[in-house]
Amino acid sequence: MLCSRRFPIIACLLLLVFWGYSPFAVAATIRIGEINPLSGRLAKQGVEIHQGVAVAVAEVNETGGLDGLRVEVISRDDQSQPDVAISRAEELCGWKKVLALTGGYVDSLVGPISEVAKKYQVPYVASASLQKELSQRGNPYFFRVARLQGFVEPLCSILADHVHPQRLALLHAATPGSTEFARDLRSCLQSRGIAVMLMEKFRPGTPDFTPLIGKLANMNIEVIISGGFFADHLLLLRQLKENRVNPKAYIGPFGIAYESFIREMGDDAEYLYSTCAWNPGITNPGTEAASKGFVERFRSMFHREPNTTNMHGYTSTRAVLTAMQNVLHQKKPLTGPNIRQSLAELDLVLPMERVAFDNHGDPRHYRHLVVQIQKGKFEVVYPPERTTASAIYPMPTWGQRK
Amino acid sequence: MWTTAVVSGITLGSFYTLIALGFALIFGVTHTFNLAHGELLVLAGYVAYWLWKTSGVSLLFTFPAAVLVTLAVCLLLQRVFSRLSEPLELNSIVMSFGAAILLQNGMLFCFSGDYRLIRVPTFNQGLHFNTLYLSYGQLTLLALSLLVTALLYLLMRHTYLGKALRATIQDREAAALAGINVGGMGVLAFAIGAMLIGLAGPLYGCVHYLYPTAGLQATLLAITITIFAGVGRVRGLIVGGWILGLAESCAVVLLGASWREVVGAVILLTLLALRPQGILERKQ
Repeated sequence: MLCSRRFPIIACLLLLVFWGYSPFAVAATIRIGEINPLSGRLAKQGVEIHQGVAVAVAEVNETGGLDGLRVEVISRDDQSQPDVAISRAEELCGWKKVLALTGGYVDSLVGPISEVAKKYQVPYVASASLQKELSQRGNPYFFRVARLQGFVEPLCSILADHVHPQRLALLHAATPGSTEFARDLRSCLQSRGIAVMLMEKFRPGTPDFTPLIGKLANMNIEVIISGGFFADHLLLLRQLKENRVNPKAYIGPFGIAYESFIREMGDDAEYLYSTCAWNPGITNPGTEAASKGFVERFRSMFHREPNTTNMHGYTSTRAVLTAMQNVLHQKKPLTGPNIRQSLAELDLVLPMERVAFDNHGDPRHYRHLVVQIQKGKFEVVYPPERTTASAIYPMPTWGQRK
Repeated sequence: MWTTAVVSGITLGSFYTLIALGFALIFGVTHTFNLAHGELLVLAGYVAYWLWKTSGVSLLFTFPAAVLVTLAVCLLLQRVFSRLSEPLELNSIVMSFGAAILLQNGMLFCFSGDYRLIRVPTFNQGLHFNTLYLSYGQLTLLALSLLVTALLYLLMRHTYLGKALRATIQDREAAALAGINVGGMGVLAFAIGAMLIGLAGPLYGCVHYLYPTAGLQATLLAITITIFAGVGRVRGLIVGGWILGLAESCAVVLLGASWREVVGAVILLTLLALRPQGILERKQ
């Protein structure tokens, strides 16, 4: 009696369980995975990448999905910890059987995810990763939309061609990406006749830069390049001002070209140099309409202005989805090797860059623009064909400002 | 360069002391290892930031609100800690670790992951003494840490309440036998600790920057300085803070910025090996 009463419930439960695994249910949607640091010390950047991913998926679904199939993104939080990133990647690739992975911020998290992706033959397009070693491991399933040389080349060129500093200091954070950036920039500068007077490494989150500032002042440094991140710039710049140290230029390639940076620094952000791959007002020539579409969609979804980190998430996801679309157009099954092959052959023009990958999975056309903050806006000052304003060099001393 | 390094070392040490005072007092009296200390400090900073940003009040007027909020949260934590069974230190680590994660995620939800900075224009001005330059920000840190340490020292040394607190730090059972309300001392320690955290939090937002997980670094600093000082040694906290600050600053000038943490760790290990009782404590 009891058994017969429970039978409909058990049958319904069994139906629900098997529905999830049935080919019909799988066929209705295309599942991709996304792993980002949504909590922990990198939460800010992880959330921004996640938002970019969400915009890309919404955009594709609104235009009918991939060959009529809706795209479903399964998001996971790696808590800014590599071991958690590995377990999330194992879950998505091994259990959830996602067809591709996207997202990821910093090499220490992207690296472990890429190894899991390789094990399961799941293509992974990382949103923000720079360390050269990651793409030299011979992982055919690993692609990324950013590369270190995209920062180094424009900075080296503007310094060598336009600024010609006599006394330059190169500070960098003790992270693999920032350290490699500093090494590459130093060798590029030296090859073009510019000596680096001081090269110093600091831990991200250092509580006090004053002794280092004393050194910079003692050497009468003209140009400071700091490979620190958003928060490091906040502190270093404030302490430069407190100690009345006036470099002719302060360049922060990572973390300055954000509206939130200007909001926190106020007028002290004026005249700072940075680099940026994309901003709402700065886009790849010929992609103005696509850029505007992204900005409007982003605003309607998140009620704020997008930034370059959001665009990195969007770009990597669009690369994945376009590669999948191409596989479907070729009437091939959506398997890891097929999507990987499609990614290797991809040539897609997006607002941030023309996305095409080399043999290592690195982007061929990722190149930053050098920007300077002028009157609260980012103005492109290099390369010459993209400039929107002339560079102000030397920047006024702290005392000369209002 | 060296004068800058020394001034910066002492200022940084004063900042460390302010961060550590609340932790040291609570740990000393109640033996609870409060791993959520840094998160409470950051919470106080966020309260100050929110008031400063939304209503434009000056930094000075944000302190009472920050103190009130930390007081409320600390007293709640004290209620939870007081119900823990033995071993108290171990259980408090587990409990406070959970509280830290809860606070981190709460702050992430309320204030987002963005880095926040309280800008005080007067902190950028300063005084010149020949080649030496002292910003008002540095002077504030120095003066406040000395004042707070001195007040705490006077309270602990020259009042009945302070003597009762010290007795509880030295031996809880003996203090209870002598008629001291040990439980009440715990509440008092949490209340005073909360006030100290509430004072340090807004300053943390001014001289450093705020983000939801910044508390971990502050907690580690507080633990280090407490080990330097020895449990219950108020003067030792400021001496410990200065030693650490000076060592870090001098390491940057002599060896480079990447040696800052290494030198701090070496000093801590050396002290643990040679003077485990703290820098100012006499050997038994």
